[in-house]
Amino acid sequence: MPATKKAAKPGLKQVGLPEETLRGLYYNLLKTRTLDERFRKLFRQGRFAGTYFSAVGQEATTVGPTYGLRDDDILASSHREIGAAVTKGIPLVNIVAQVYARANSPDKGKTHPCHYSWRDKGVFTPASTLAGQTVVGTGCAMGFKLQKKDNVVVAFFGEGATARGGWHEAVNYAGIHKLPIVYICQNNLWAESVPAHMQAGIENFSDRAKAYGFPGITIDGNDIVLVHKTAAEAIKRARAGEGPTLIECKTYRYYGHSEIDPADYRREEEIEEWKKKDTVTRAERMMMDLGLLTDQQREAMIEDINHEIDEAVNICEKEKYVEPEEAYNDVYSKYFPVRRDEY
Amino acid sequence: MKKTSFIEAITQALYEEMERDERVFMIGQDIGVYGGVFKATKGLLDRFGAERVIDAPISEVYIAGGSVGAALVGCRPVAEIQFADFITPSMDQIIQQMAKMRYRTGGQWSCPMTIRVCCGGDVGGGLYHSQINEQWFFSQPGLIVLLPSTAYDAKGLLKSAIRGEDPVIFFEHKRLYRWIKEELPDEDFTVPIGKAAIRKEGEDITLVAYGLMAHRSMEAAAGLEKEGISAEVIDMRTILPWDRETIFESVKKTSKVVLVQEGTKTGGVMAEVGAAIAEELFDYLDAPVSRVCGLDVPAIPFAPPMEHFFLPNAEKITNVVKKVLEY
Ligand SMILES: Cc1ncc(C[n+]2csc(CCOP(=O)(O)OP(=O)(O)O)c2C)c(N)n1
Repeated sequence: MPATKKAAKPGLKQVGLPEETLRGLYYNLLKTRTLDERFRKLFRQGRFAGTYFSAVGQEATTVGPTYGLRDDDILASSHREIGAAVTKGIPLVNIVAQVYARANSPDKGKTHPCHYSWRDKGVFTPASTLAGQTVVGTGCAMGFKLQKKDNVVVAFFGEGATARGGWHEAVNYAGIHKLPIVYICQNNLWAESVPAHMQAGIENFSDRAKAYGFPGITIDGNDIVLVHKTAAEAIKRARAGEGPTLIECKTYRYYGHSEIDPADYRREEEIEEWKKKDTVTRAERMMMDLGLLTDQQREAMIEDINHEIDEAVNICEKEKYVEPEEAYNDVYSKYFPVRRDEY
Repeated sequence: MKKTSFIEAITQALYEEMERDERVFMIGQDIGVYGGVFKATKGLLDRFGAERVIDAPISEVYIAGGSVGAALVGCRPVAEIQFADFITPSMDQIIQQMAKMRYRTGGQWSCPMTIRVCCGGDVGGGLYHSQINEQWFFSQPGLIVLLPSTAYDAKGLLKSAIRGEDPVIFFEHKRLYRWIKEELPDEDFTVPIGKAAIRKEGEDITLVAYGLMAHRSMEAAAGLEKEGISAEVIDMRTILPWDRETIFESVKKTSKVVLVQEGTKTGGVMAEVGAAIAEELFDYLDAPVSRVCGLDVPAIPFAPPMEHFFLPNAEKITNVVKKVLEY
C-alpha cells in the first residue's frame, strides 16, 4: 500500500527541521569528514609537523550544536572540534593554514595544528590543559550576562576532561548564575587510552548537571538531527536567560587519540559496531529518503569540497613560514616591547 | 590634608575605576557584603551592586579563568585572590590561558584584566597566610606583575592595570595595608607600568628592592647615611617587565649593588636581576652582585622569632652592604 510505504520513510515534517537546515547540517558533516580525512593523510605523508587529532566518527556532535550560531556567539572548543571550526565558519584556507603553521595561519604558527582560533567568528583558542577552555568559555558567558547581551557560548570537551577540578568549578559557577552557555560533552568512550568508566563512576556524564542545578541530557551523538535539535533548544534557553544545559553526546572516534596512537587498547568489534552507526552515512540515508540528495549530488558535493581543500592546501604549502623573529611578537600589547636577545 | 592608607588607596582606585568605566567588575571571595577580609572592597557593593561586585564561590580556578573569558568578550575584570597562598589552583588559568592568550592567537585575542593578590609576611599570619610568590609569575612573559610599596603607587599602578590592555597580577603586601599612609592628590593620576622609582639618590652603592623590602632598604639606607655611606634606593614597583634602564643606570653610577627580596633566594626575582647585571655591566662593577633574601626553606615559618629570622630586615641589609663596600 502506498500509504504504509510512505510512512516508512519520514517526511520533512517528522524530521522537524527545515530543508535548508538539513542541507546545511549535511554539508558541514561531509565537509568536516572530508577535511579531517585529508588532514590525516597529509600528516601521514609528513606534510605538517606535530600531530593531528582526528574527529572522524563524531562529526555530528560538533556540527550539530554549532550550526546556526551567530558570529558573535562564542565557541569554546577543545582539541577535537574541527567540525565546529568548519561549521562556525573559519575560512577553510585558514583552518588548513593552522595545521600547516604557515604565515597565513590565524595564530601565525604559534600553537598547535588543532588549536583553531578566529576572532571574527567568536572562536578563541584551546589550551592543551584539558577543560581549561571550559573555564574561559564559562567566563565568556559571565561576560555576556554582565553586559546584558543575548549572546551564548557553546563549550565542547570530552568525557575525560569532565574529571578535572576546573571543569567542576566552571559548571558550578554557571549553575549558580544561570549563565548563557551550553556544554557539549563528546563522550567518545575513550580518553586517550582510558575508558569512560575509569573517568567517572556514573554511566551518563550528563548526570553531573544535576549536581549543579541545571538540565543534563544524554543523547545519541551520531544522530545529527537529534543533536542539532537538542542543542538548538538548549541554545534558545540559554539566549533567553534560562541558564545552562549539559548535553552528553554518545559517540565514537574511529582512529587513535591522535595520529601517533595506534589505538590498540580497543577491540576491533567495538570499532566495527560503531561504524555501523556512522553519522555521515545515516545523515545521507535520511537525506536520500527525504528526496533531498541523490548519489550524483553527493559525488558532486564531495568533488567540490575536495577541490576547495586542494586549493587551500596548495595555497598553504606555497605559503612561507613566518620569519622566526615573529616569536617575539604578541607577548604584550604595544606598550611593552619584549627584550630581543642576540646570540 | 588627610593621609590615605595603602589599603584605602586601593579601595579608591577600585571605586574610581568602576565609576569611570562600566566594563569594570570585580569577582572574588567575600568581597561583597563583607568588603573583603582586609576591607579593600568595602562599600563597593553598596555603590555598584552585586552584578559588578561578585561574591565568588571558593573557586580559584574559576575566579581567574572566568575573568579571562569575561575579558575576551569585552569586560574589564578585577579578580581578587584572597591570599597569595591560595593562588596555586589559579596557576593553571593564569599561566595557560591568561598569560598566553595573545601569543597563542597570534594577537587576535587579549586579556585586559587584573588579578589582585594579597601577599607577604611580617604579620604573624602563619605559614599559609604569609607567602609572597611573585617569582612564580616573574618567569612568565605575557603577564605584567606589579608589587607597589607606597599608597600613591598602589593607587596609580592599580589604575594603570585596570586601564591597560594586558593581563596583570597585582600583589598587595598586607604588612603595608595600614602601616603606610601618605597624602594623595585629589585629581586623577596613574603610575606608569614598567618604570622603577628612585626612592633615594646616593653615590656609593645601589639597593634594589620592592614591596615591604623597599621600606626595609630605606631604613638601612637611613642608618648607613649616618655612617657617611650614601646608598641609592630603587623600588622596582613593576616586577615584570622590569625596568632595566633605571637599575642599570644606577649600577653604572655606583658600581656596587645589593638586591633585596622577601621571597626565597633560589629562583627569585633578584636572581634574574643579578644575573642580568653580571651579564651586561661586568665592566662597571667594583664588587660582586649581592643579595639579601628570604631563607631557602619551603615557606615563611609561623613562630614570631622564626618568622623574623626568615625575613630580610634593615640590619641584614646593612651587614651585606658593608661587606660589599669592603670588597
Ligand atoms: C590537564 C591535562 N592532562 C592530561 C592531558 C593529556 N591528554 C590530552 S587529551 C587526553 C584525553 C582526553 O580525553 P577526553 O577529554 O575524553 O577527550 P577526547 O580526546 O576523547 O576527545 C589527555 C589525557 C592534557 N592535555 N591536559
